[in-house]
Amino acid sequence: MLSSLTKNKVSRRDFMKACAAMAVYLGLSESFAPKIADAVENASKKAPVVWIEAQSCSGDTEAFLNSSEPTPAQILLDTISLKYQDTVMFGTGYVADKALDDAIKAGGYVLVVEGSIPTADPLFCTVGTESATNPARKPVIDTLKEAYKNAAVVIALGSCATWGGVVQDCPSKGRGVAEVLGKDKVINLPLCPCNPDHLAGTIVYYLTFKKAPPLDIHQRPLMFFGSIIHDNCPRRAHFERGEFVTDYGDPKQADYCLYLKGCKGPFTFSDCPSRGFNENVSWCIKASAPCAGCSQPEFYAGFSPLYVKSNDVNLPGIGGVPSETVGTVAAAVTALGVAAHLVGRSVFGKKKEGDK
Amino acid sequence: MANKIVIDPVTRIEGHLRIEVEVENGVVKDAWSTGTMARGFEAMLLGRQPMDAIYVTERSCGVCTLVHGMASSRTLDMAYGCKVPEAGILLRNLMLAALHMGDHIQIFYNLNAPDYIDITAVAGYKGNDPKLLAIKDKIVSLVKANDTSPFTPTYKNDQYTLTDPEIVTTLVSHYLQAIEARAIAQKCVAIFGGKSPHQAGIIQGGVTYHPNLEDLIKYKESILKVIDFVENVYWKDILFLGAGPLLPVGQAGLGGGYNNYLSGPEFQADESGKDFLWKGGVVTDGNLGAVQPLDGQKIAESVAHSWYDYSNNQPLLAPYEGQTKFNLTKEGAYSFVKAPRYDGKPYEVGPLAWAMTTQPKEFMDIVTKLNIKPGFLARHAARSYQAVDVARNVLKWVDQLAGLMGKGPLIVNDDKPTPNTGKGAGFVEAPRGFLSHWAIIEGGKLKNYQQVVPTTWNGSPRDANNVRGQFEQSLIGIPVPDPENPVNVVRNIRSFDPCLACAIHIIHPESNRILKFVVE
Repeated sequence: MLSSLTKNKVSRRDFMKACAAMAVYLGLSESFAPKIADAVENASKKAPVVWIEAQSCSGDTEAFLNSSEPTPAQILLDTISLKYQDTVMFGTGYVADKALDDAIKAGGYVLVVEGSIPTADPLFCTVGTESATNPARKPVIDTLKEAYKNAAVVIALGSCATWGGVVQDCPSKGRGVAEVLGKDKVINLPLCPCNPDHLAGTIVYYLTFKKAPPLDIHQRPLMFFGSIIHDNCPRRAHFERGEFVTDYGDPKQADYCLYLKGCKGPFTFSDCPSRGFNENVSWCIKASAPCAGCSQPEFYAGFSPLYVKSNDVNLPGIGGVPSETVGTVAAAVTALGVAAHLVGRSVFGKKKEGDK
Repeated sequence: MANKIVIDPVTRIEGHLRIEVEVENGVVKDAWSTGTMARGFEAMLLGRQPMDAIYVTERSCGVCTLVHGMASSRTLDMAYGCKVPEAGILLRNLMLAALHMGDHIQIFYNLNAPDYIDITAVAGYKGNDPKLLAIKDKIVSLVKANDTSPFTPTYKNDQYTLTDPEIVTTLVSHYLQAIEARAIAQKCVAIFGGKSPHQAGIIQGGVTYHPNLEDLIKYKESILKVIDFVENVYWKDILFLGAGPLLPVGQAGLGGGYNNYLSGPEFQADESGKDFLWKGGVVTDGNLGAVQPLDGQKIAESVAHSWYDYSNNQPLLAPYEGQTKFNLTKEGAYSFVKAPRYDGKPYEVGPLAWAMTTQPKEFMDIVTKLNIKPGFLARHAARSYQAVDVARNVLKWVDQLAGLMGKGPLIVNDDKPTPNTGKGAGFVEAPRGFLSHWAIIEGGKLKNYQQVVPTTWNGSPRDANNVRGQFEQSLIGIPVPDPENPVNVVRNIRSFDPCLACAIHIIHPESNRILKFVVE
């Protein structure tokens, strides 16, 4: 993206400003701007990327195409060399197969994996043919093993590729990249779908420093997954006051806390509250949809049922009050909310989960 | 002598698809369509709280995202007995409208147009449009650096490949604009649904989001840009290409198929649930004069050539009774996709089916005048006209919603409790065609859940009577003069806008919880 700015004859000053913005965006001090500028300007070639969809819905590809700064066109034309990406690439059939083989042989690429890897039977997901002379279906797990070997770094993109996501409990037993292929080179970028900012930021960080950004115990970049959604939720004040959405039809409750609607925000590490989606026009909780915890390894089955208050946590006082009335019992709410918050902190107060 | 060609992967679609064709004397003589990936959402859904289905089935597809959440919500609307208020209907319309336009833009420019252009022709551009010159410079610099991924390699050019530098450069420019336009359309969905793909706001009874004027203005500003692209770029490009350089493709009617078409009602007009912008209907054997109303009772699926078994080898099962007993090594099976049939016959769904069953005058006049026959070009024409039709109606819904805002509180959801027992079916006319979800609730949990999706209709394998699916039938007669260059095969398949992840659903074979629900 930065190179596109230079090639479009943007002034040096604007270019450095963009680098400074990217530094801040990556959680670095602005003094890193020259280093980022060097890395982008002096890269002899665009970074090769091989992007393989296993058991995917292509939602992460779509999310990538929603990137705004840099735009997908800037990424595709200026920043990376997308050697294989089966929703976007022009080639098809044997032509696509060959492009993938050539890229793997050349090595040194960023491998992006989208979708889970079936572990019950390799035939649950096949892409391509075994060889030019053998048209048998080729299990994607075999291709991924080959691609993993020669990759410089591996990005597991979206919740399916990180831990299996919604596919974990399926008959195909979808699993994540680190579990199936190895942990060494893997950066996990969960969320369902991924946030395109996280992908662009991770790639720029890697190009600049030639290594992965600092990761948490789940191999997620701390710069994106270092804080709990609940701690930064704009509805937090309502939680503290014990004001919960119990009836979507009641306009008074429109911005109340969604905990009783099954919100997993207290369990979930991500920067959704500040970053949002689609150029930050909204995110789940802003649209009054409870957080489903999609950046966590427990997602989805471990968090089911999604629209029902989590059973393993009791908000004190609420047990004795019918949930339909909680949001409107004005006299009780303040004390109840504060007590709930205290318990909430002790149960979920794992602010350090992210730290090594 | 017949020549077997395997195309795997078919790229620039959603999901994993394999097409095998038998070519004789330069044309396709027989064809097989295989969905090669399965996950199995329903395994998790059975025995779960019904609302989980809204969230989980949304993940069926990340391209025509939100339609499953909407079909599932409509299924639960019925099962829960929710009446969606006017604001909820309008918000659903606004999200679906944005999706329709954004999806169609992407399908044509980003997923299909590359089949018709030789990108290297850009180097020959001699005009002086600064935007097009910038594209020329960029592509030429990529060629010089010997790094033109992902635009090359491709199949070779053929007689339908556009090589005129002016036309190709313009289309490449529109390809890049299209990426942006569809991202704006997704932003429109996100304003009300939290995010896109995989919006989170549509639930039974309406939506979770409470409308405010600021967001509505944001939506309107953004959707105007999408409408502008649809009317002034997309539709004009289609008219130019369809009446000009690609007219021979349209007139040849390559990729027609059975001429059986089916579409569902969509864009609910009011709270009655009976009035729709598009009424939907059924056309059989190309008999456009006899459009029949759609009857959900006539839908049933076969698994004769799919990797599943039915109890007692029943030839067809209606979705409410649907079983999906997985058999990976079944003899004669060649796809994870089931074979839906309507009244026992295969039907095409999608924009062409929409056009053939609703017969909008402006569109019919154009195709009649140009003598365009059903096939892959007609499919693109119908798709772009459908986008235009949505574009012409969406602002009306914006105004309607704005009008409701001054009139007291906006209640967008009934929030009914989960019923102990219930049954529901939800229909959506998705960008890819007719989508239906079917649920049975018992003891407050899901007892059965089935999805019959557009690509299951279009991409099905043969059924119990050995009758081919739509992809397969439409490929018969397609010219493949060079076996190493089966570009017409993929042009045809991609014109259907396949979504294989949507099309495939499996129930866990070993789970007792599920087996006890199987009616033996």
